[in-house]
Amino acid sequence: MTLTTPAKAPPQESRWRTLGLRADVRNLSLLGVLAVLIVVGGLTRPAEFLATSNLQLVLTQASVIGVVTVGMTFVITSGGIDLSVGAIVALASVWATTLATQEFGFAGILFTAVAVGLGCGLVNGVLVAYGGMVPFIATLAMLASARGLALQITDGKTQIVTVPSVLDLGLPDAYVLGIPPLVLVFAAVTVAGWLLLNRTTFGRRTIAVGGNPEAARLAGIDVRRQRLFLYLLSGLCCGIAAFLLVVLAGSGQNTNGNLYELDAIAAAIIGGTLLSGGRGTIVGSVLGVLVFTTITNIFALNNLQSDVQQIAKGAIIVAAVLLQRRTVRDGT
Amino acid sequence: MSGITKSFPGVRALDGVDLEVAPGEVHCLLGQNGAGKSTLIKVLAGAHQPDEGRITWNGAPVRLRSPSAAVRLGIATIYQELDLVEGLSVAENVHLGHEPTTGGFVRTREARQTTAALLKRLGHPEIDPARRVGELSAAQRQIVSMARALSHDVRLIVMDEPSAALDPDEVANLFRIVADLTADGVAVVYISHRLEEIRRIGDRVTVLKDGRAVARGLPAATTPPREVVALMTGRDVPYVFPERPTRPPTGEPVLRVRGLARKGEFEALDLELRPGEIVGLAGLVGSGRSEILETVYGARKPTAGRVIVDGRRLRPGSVPAAVAAGLGLAPEERKAQGLLLLESVTRNVSVSSLARFSRAGWIDRTAERETARTATRTLSLRPDLPDAPVRTLSGGNQQKAVLARWLLRGCRVLLLDEPTRGVDVGARAELYAVIRGLADDGLAVLLVSSEVPEVLGLADRVLVLREGRVVHQAPARDLDEHRVLDLVMEGSPAV
Amino acid sequence: MPETSRRHLLLGGAAVSAGALLTACTSNEPKDAKDAAPAGSAAPAADDKPGTPVTIGFAGPQADHGWLNAINDNAERRAKTYSDVTLEITEGSNDTATQIGQVQTLINKKVDVLVILPADGKALTQIGLQAMKAGIPVINLDRIFASPQAYRCWIGGDNYGMGLNAGNFIGEQLKDKPNATVVELAGMDSLELTKQRTQGFDDALKNYPNIRKVARQAADFTVESGQAKMAQLLQAQSKFDALWNHDDDQGVGALRAVAQAGRKDFLMVGGAGAKSAMDAIKADTGVLKATVLYPPTMAASAIDLARALGQKKGVGGMSELEIPASITLYSAVVTKENVDEYLPTGFS
Repeated sequence: MTLTTPAKAPPQESRWRTLGLRADVRNLSLLGVLAVLIVVGGLTRPAEFLATSNLQLVLTQASVIGVVTVGMTFVITSGGIDLSVGAIVALASVWATTLATQEFGFAGILFTAVAVGLGCGLVNGVLVAYGGMVPFIATLAMLASARGLALQITDGKTQIVTVPSVLDLGLPDAYVLGIPPLVLVFAAVTVAGWLLLNRTTFGRRTIAVGGNPEAARLAGIDVRRQRLFLYLLSGLCCGIAAFLLVVLAGSGQNTNGNLYELDAIAAAIIGGTLLSGGRGTIVGSVLGVLVFTTITNIFALNNLQSDVQQIAKGAIIVAAVLLQRRTVRDGT
Repeated sequence: MSGITKSFPGVRALDGVDLEVAPGEVHCLLGQNGAGKSTLIKVLAGAHQPDEGRITWNGAPVRLRSPSAAVRLGIATIYQELDLVEGLSVAENVHLGHEPTTGGFVRTREARQTTAALLKRLGHPEIDPARRVGELSAAQRQIVSMARALSHDVRLIVMDEPSAALDPDEVANLFRIVADLTADGVAVVYISHRLEEIRRIGDRVTVLKDGRAVARGLPAATTPPREVVALMTGRDVPYVFPERPTRPPTGEPVLRVRGLARKGEFEALDLELRPGEIVGLAGLVGSGRSEILETVYGARKPTAGRVIVDGRRLRPGSVPAAVAAGLGLAPEERKAQGLLLLESVTRNVSVSSLARFSRAGWIDRTAERETARTATRTLSLRPDLPDAPVRTLSGGNQQKAVLARWLLRGCRVLLLDEPTRGVDVGARAELYAVIRGLADDGLAVLLVSSEVPEVLGLADRVLVLREGRVVHQAPARDLDEHRVLDLVMEGSPAV
Repeated sequence: MPETSRRHLLLGGAAVSAGALLTACTSNEPKDAKDAAPAGSAAPAADDKPGTPVTIGFAGPQADHGWLNAINDNAERRAKTYSDVTLEITEGSNDTATQIGQVQTLINKKVDVLVILPADGKALTQIGLQAMKAGIPVINLDRIFASPQAYRCWIGGDNYGMGLNAGNFIGEQLKDKPNATVVELAGMDSLELTKQRTQGFDDALKNYPNIRKVARQAADFTVESGQAKMAQLLQAQSKFDALWNHDDDQGVGALRAVAQAGRKDFLMVGGAGAKSAMDAIKADTGVLKATVLYPPTMAASAIDLARALGQKKGVGGMSELEIPASITLYSAVVTKENVDEYLPTGFS
């Protein structure tokens, strides 16, 4: 039973349209946070912060976790969670940088990273969709075993990449019109993710499954298959991210992707994706990632140490979420 | 209570409402959804603070600052959405918040004994106080909720649609409990949509409309229902069913069910449904009504039998197969099973037909919005705002959104489970007309309802179920309510 | 339907062959087997003649990091060189409770000597005490127990000394340069050893009034964090003269960031002594000019000490009849000049 009846004049059609764009209001508030950060950065270290090279740096550093977050956004929107993203990135990056893989050169490394990501995603998806396991547990198990396998493959050693074509991709000579290739991949994944979520049946089904799985099932959606594809998608994103990380760090290490799961979840949530599912925004997630990366950047430029950085990160999460609530309420 | 006013941002939910309840009285509260009933009882329960107005308890003015303050005074509330903790036992739920303790330890045995006594008083000694509430049926949970209310020293008990989830025999038991309570001098505020219940047990009636009390203290037994409906809706709505078509439907059956069964739920069911025909399933909760619908639909996997649509056998236990063949279900729990509450009307309507406006997975959103709107307009869903969140719609219009979904899908067989649950009396007649209209356009409808008059009034043909078996089958006009109730309860062999 | 199943078949086939290909790709065996020659093979320091048989129990943390892996390697390899030593090595663990259990098992097996590299020195003090009380002498490796009663001998690296030597090396290189600036890429800030390394570095710089430390960022010993933090440092400081990086593993990432930023205008000093770092120093084509050791060979020395303890001998080259109670290793600076001597100890 509803408490309120809009008894007076019927609400304007345009009003509902505005409300339908609620997620965009959230994005606005996050854009505000980003603007504040840019002002702070510009005031404290103008020469360094506002340089083109810094923009390249921030976007490059955001690209690996950004790609992971796009995949995570889909999973969270569907009401699931993927705790294994960091571990999958680690496993994919070390598998792609073993001496045996490196013999196959660029293509071998790229193929292995993506295939390992997809493989892990497939296992997650089968366990969750057809094994009936709770996503939290299934992906936690994947986290543990993927990290274990990554350690086993590396034996704790750092696997340095010696394939020049891979290494060169991370160097300034490879920039396209001043844009690092990593950033281009990140941008492509973002655009593809946005289109997939907002313009395709796949995205619509994802939202339906997250909003009300039972209703989605009874509406004729194959919920299990959808879930399988979602974890597969997250795995794919992890594979791509792992390749980017290999390019960026010029190596593979079993410690790669440390706590990516928490960073990706945090970025998606402050971006406006509902942790309970049913609503997701790719733009918000990417803004969330950029906010975090910019904070790190500003703090490092001002030579503030990691303790302060962590405190600030926590404060920003709280502030962004509170601000969102305000904006959404005012928008109602 | 007098002059109670409560405003929420943008809406004045209660506007100077007076309510007077005498000890030992059953005071019925009536009103359409949104009339302010829930807000009023929440004020009474201490969950909402009124902006204006006074509450007088036994002659003295009181302020109910919190639910626990209300409980201390002896006011207990049984909400419509049951507020039980599924993971705890019956006894733990009953004593939640006021457990009998010794030095911080719960005296479990005592809690169970008092719970057992309460359950016995409520006529349900078979409920084990040690069982987890999650394992109980909806009706049993209702009883536990009531036991919880009675575990306090209660002087006034508020029941919000207590009969909604109950069968006729359960309702009879409920009435007996209410009578016992009032005999002890306890006052009862009783909220229900079912006018005939109010006539049976109510003493006085207060009717709310748009946050105001439009009638106070009407005699429950003698006021004609038509007058009450008129007060609630503000217009004179005939509580009638649409005309049946004069000629019986003839075409080939679109849906054939052969020997369908699910172990422990229902037995070998045979059923044929022709285009333009509405077939009703009547039976108690637990008779297998909803289970049959869901099994036909593929949401549950049958243990035996076949479902045949247009001569082709459906893959058992597959909803996508059923939907592809032209079946559509409007589920019993509309909000939990039917709707994507966060989404707009358009998206709720289009969700089953996405392929229709998409190429290679790419959605044409203009086409989606326009076709969905055509469907909602056909069913005169109001307000006519395709982008409005579906959760802001009234129950009846939410149901229309679900029907529009299947209309858009081009569905041939509509399975309706409790289509008017939670729908206002005024809106029901319109929904009946919509359903009949769909049948007239050639859809076959399989209807399940716990309200026997609804099945009899709407369906062409009725199957009476008892304990998972069809015990009688007849044209609706050959049956009346008493006959059906006899059949479902006694199950006298027939046909 | 048949179309779908064929699609499934194709997909399945592709997955299986991809899987087979991938499985082959886990191998890390270098094609050129000569590269795999054992590292860390300096001659045993103790008396090499076979004596009383000694069983040594070894418990360390999980080898999830190049240096720790080298610790295990060094211990195992050294033990193998002695015919009279039996090494009981446990599966490494970072979990305190697990490690306590593992040490207890070794105590129950009545090994002669224990070598323990605790995951957390303070938290595992009790188990050291317990072993000592049970009459099993403990060689405490690197991460020190809270009480001296918990070990017979401690041997470990010198974090303060590392920073000190790195600072002095940089100081000597820049001593003629007015207004020289340095930056520091520290290790994990939550570890005490990072503070000690920074302290040593700062103290050394006090000897050179012309040098100023202008920036410091903490990474966390991983390549990924080294790249990320170094990239930020390079952006923050458009010009500086020297960089002190606490750890060669994160240095791999730091060097990557340097290459990505196209910078060559400073000299870099690493820490720990990884093989990749030594190779770079030897090649002398980049900014990395030196690395300060935190030698994993200490594990080999710990085995020597344990054997000496088990055979009731002292340390060769010292007059005492017993092994010392505490040995702090020197953090040598490896430069192009001496890198060949140290290359065999470099770890990967």
